Amino acid sequence: MTPATSLDSLLRVLPEGRVVTDPDVTDSYARDRTFLTPGRALGVVLARTRDDVVATMRWATEHRVPVVPRGAGTGLAGGATAVEGGLLLSLARMTDIRELSPADEIAVVEPGVINADLDRAARAHGLMYAPDPSSYEISTIGGNLATNAGGLRCVKYGVTRDSTLGLEVVLPDGRVLNTGRRTVKGVTGYDLTGLFVGSEGTLGVITAATVRLQRAPAAPPATVAAEFPTLRQAAEAVAAVIAAGCRPSLLELLDRATLKAIDDWRNIGLDPDTAAMLIAQSDTPDGQAVAERMAALFDECGASFVAASSTPQEADELIGVRRMAYEAKERLGACLVEDVCVPRSRLPEMISAIEAAAVRHDVLICTVAHAGDGNLHPVFVFDHGLPEPPPQVWAAADEVFRAALDLGGTLTGEHGVGLLKRRWLDLETGPVGREVQLGIKQVFDPLGIMNPGKAIQN
Amino acid sequence: MTTSVELTWVSALRAGLASDMVHDDADTLERHSRDSAPFSPAGTPAVVVTPETAEQVRHVLRVAHAHGVPVVPQGARTGLAGAANADDGCIVLSLLRMNRILEIDRGNRLVRCEPGVTNRGLSDAVAAHGLFFPPDPASWNDCTIGGNIAVGAGGLCCVKYGVTADYVLGLSVVLADGELVRTGRRTVKGVAGYDLTRLFVGSEGTLGVIVEATLSLRPAPGPSLAMLAQFPSATAAGEAVAAIIGRGHVPSALELMDQVTTRAVADVGHPMLSGDAAATLIVECDDRDPAAEVAAIAELCRTAGAVAVTVAADQEESKRVLDARRLVLPALQRQAASLPGRPTAFIEDVAVPRTRLAEFIDRIALIAAEHDLYISTVGHAGDGNLHPTVVFDQADPSAFARAERAYDAIMEAGLALGGTITGEHGVGILKREWLRRELDPGALRIQQGIKNLLDPEGVLNPGKVLA
Ligand SMILES: Cc1cc2nc3c(=O)[nH]c(=O)nc-3n(C[C@H](O)[C@H](O)[C@H](O)COP(=O)(O)OP(=O)(O)OC[C@H]3O[C@@H](n4cnc5c(N)ncnc54)[C@H](O)[C@@H]3O)c2cc1C
Ligand SMILES: Cc1cc2nc3c(=O)[nH]c(=O)nc-3n(C[C@H](O)[C@H](O)[C@H](O)COP(=O)(O)OP(=O)(O)OC[C@H]3O[C@@H](n4cnc5c(N)ncnc54)[C@H](O)[C@@H]3O)c2cc1C
Repeated sequence: MTPATSLDSLLRVLPEGRVVTDPDVTDSYARDRTFLTPGRALGVVLARTRDDVVATMRWATEHRVPVVPRGAGTGLAGGATAVEGGLLLSLARMTDIRELSPADEIAVVEPGVINADLDRAARAHGLMYAPDPSSYEISTIGGNLATNAGGLRCVKYGVTRDSTLGLEVVLPDGRVLNTGRRTVKGVTGYDLTGLFVGSEGTLGVITAATVRLQRAPAAPPATVAAEFPTLRQAAEAVAAVIAAGCRPSLLELLDRATLKAIDDWRNIGLDPDTAAMLIAQSDTPDGQAVAERMAALFDECGASFVAASSTPQEADELIGVRRMAYEAKERLGACLVEDVCVPRSRLPEMISAIEAAAVRHDVLICTVAHAGDGNLHPVFVFDHGLPEPPPQVWAAADEVFRAALDLGGTLTGEHGVGLLKRRWLDLETGPVGREVQLGIKQVFDPLGIMNPGKAIQN
Repeated sequence: MTTSVELTWVSALRAGLASDMVHDDADTLERHSRDSAPFSPAGTPAVVVTPETAEQVRHVLRVAHAHGVPVVPQGARTGLAGAANADDGCIVLSLLRMNRILEIDRGNRLVRCEPGVTNRGLSDAVAAHGLFFPPDPASWNDCTIGGNIAVGAGGLCCVKYGVTADYVLGLSVVLADGELVRTGRRTVKGVAGYDLTRLFVGSEGTLGVIVEATLSLRPAPGPSLAMLAQFPSATAAGEAVAAIIGRGHVPSALELMDQVTTRAVADVGHPMLSGDAAATLIVECDDRDPAAEVAAIAELCRTAGAVAVTVAADQEESKRVLDARRLVLPALQRQAASLPGRPTAFIEDVAVPRTRLAEFIDRIALIAAEHDLYISTVGHAGDGNLHPTVVFDQADPSAFARAERAYDAIMEAGLALGGTITGEHGVGILKREWLRRELDPGALRIQQGIKNLLDPEGVLNPGKVLA
């Protein structure tokens, strides 16, 4: 089968303008935000309707062509990277919010809706869409679902899975599957919704989702920030806040390397003795009192500087610093972004392990963490000119992964396995787990055309 | 009489278990033949086994797998869907002796335990450490954590704190062939591979046997206060529920009782309840300032047309308010006791979108009238999850037939309102046919594919969930 003829038959089953083969355009759909080099794709389908997706998948099944679904391509694990000879299927143009019911606190959305757009639509009714990855202004709900994205608020409000009630999915052979329900509770049959969330496009294409909305807090959150002379003290302060039952709505940690990258770029007046910064918020009606309690705990844990922000603008600036972290690091070099998660009490040890790996392998590692969840993002920075991370970066990353698993943790808290973490997955799932995972993939995708090579070890 | 074939596998079974772990006396077999659901058929097991370790469970599954003998996992048999009912000649695998709490980790707020721990046993143990395991089915005194996970149980405080699935971090599961798989993790978040943990939650013993669970916990909530409001119509009560949720209140219980239930509870003598009201709402709040919150909710109830509102002033009164909800089951049992023959109170379980709650209650009342039946409806109103309870004499063929028809009509009505056939009790045998109505054919095929994958020989709880 030559690519040209095969795409002809695809063109016939899709409306005009849905398929693009111009390499300049297809290239822009071939990568996510990792350094990974994509394979050459046959073309891109820019789906606008579920029927487009159905036609595409039927065609792909008939011709045994691999399909890589994608949202906005902001992924950090290589999940949306083009595979050689495959088709790219962009859902980014399916942007309808089909329904928003304030009374049932649910919305039915298409996969291309940008996370922040859904949140804004909900806010108009006093509601919010809780999961808020740092990429919320640029990533899609479909991508969030496929990776089970977390975010800043999930320490209090849960991850994407916790907000997902039901899905409409197009299976690899083009059949449409509805999972889940519109009710808050339900236990009818096996939980297929749970299987699709986090499956990284390897089981089917999500074409609509029924998601749960939550009440937006009445008042803007109260915010505290603290600086610490050592990373460990900051990590201990996190444990203290959780143990005290403060239930922060946000609890983020930035290490010195990250703060320095931000300072070099935006000059935030970084103190030379600061090794880490914590930012915490409480959005309860008595948030100010909770913020004060957290401030006191930070003090007790040895903070060199503690400040409560008195205005929402000040708070926004602080959160702005956190949201700048990734861009600041990208200015330093190419980034391998990791995503380990450990039981919260092991945070200090995990941070020590990351520091040790950085020193031992002489690698620059900048770490931010959704600290309240025990979820750390050590970012390994390497020379922009290199096509992929040099051996010492992989060696350091390997050490970090193993340390996380030794501490009872997991390889990935929210970004997914994609291509990047496959070789470590076996360490976590074990041989029986791996067999079951492969078996499930077979049930949904017997031909192996759905985002092959991603997410699970085969 | 036992055939030699049976003897082969029974002796193989005995070889790996202590002598007091294999039971075949008629009395034990009879006691383990069914759970607490009527309607569903049940057979007599060949043996009941009561292993104490995961290794012994693996042994049981290996033997069963090798000889093609069905295995029915059982917790406390409080299930209401026939999911734990025995098949003729099967092995009933009771997990009740695996009831150790293995670890309580305060720092990470988690507990690791065996499946046979009762919900209450676990709750009490973690409470001693200032922690809280929220899922609280009304059967909490008896039902097991393994059973709770296997059906995805709910309870009163789910409206605020979520259901069992939300608290399961990781599992150890013995698969049909005796292999052991660990799923999930000890961390708050994690996305490595497909979510097998969620797959086992709610699988009703058909995909594997849960031998250990890692559950997340919460800090113990502060003191709570309760209130009670009575309404002239289900619609008015439904409006109150909508207003409470709409204003952003997050009560820790939000329970609705229909007219029949209200009368039954008033009749057993609850001082705060008038038996004439069409609906009663019971609300509990455990936030920082519960007094202010229940006061605000009381106001919303009045606006929605409540005819009587009682707000508890202290813990003592709160307890009495909540007693109205706790008395439902005893009240219905009393109602049942007034019937001749073999009376039963059968608790149904349907969930609808919250906005359709009042409509659903009115429909159920119509269905009761049409079938000339006593149906009491209580519900976790905040979740849209209702439990219509049919009280009837199982020995009366006409009543039995009417109860079955009414039950079908209720399922039908729930689905028509955009609901689901089970909010928390599961499918078991009882709702197998309805599963086919709710799920589309594609979903059914996938469900069957998953079953075939994990249990190719069909030895695990056969005939449950998927017919
Ligand atoms: C600056 C920055 C900050 C970030 N912060 C966070 C964070 O805080 N938390 C977090 O979790 N992630 C974060 N991410 C990672 C990323 O944004 C998330 O993984 C996001 O969910 C990806 O969404 P997307 O639309 O870009 O998906 P893509 O990158 O296009 O795809 C991601 C995966 O989903 C699959 N997929 C996409 N759409 C569908 C669909 N409709 N059906 C089936 N499969 C599909 C793809 O095949 C791929 O495997 C961040 C990324 C950046 C660049
Ligand atoms: C009076 C009363 C009130 C109730 N109230 C509620 C309520 O408020 N909310 C609610 O959700 N339910 C309620 N229930 C239903 C019932 O208590 C729950 O379904 C409970 O979770 C069953 O637990 P069990 O230990 O009795 O399990 P069983 O009934 O023994 O078994 C239930 C299912 O789980 C399987 N199973 C049990 N243990 C395991 C294991 N270790 N591994 C694999 N599979 C296993 C069985 O095979 C069966 O499919 C109530 C029941 C009664 C009788």
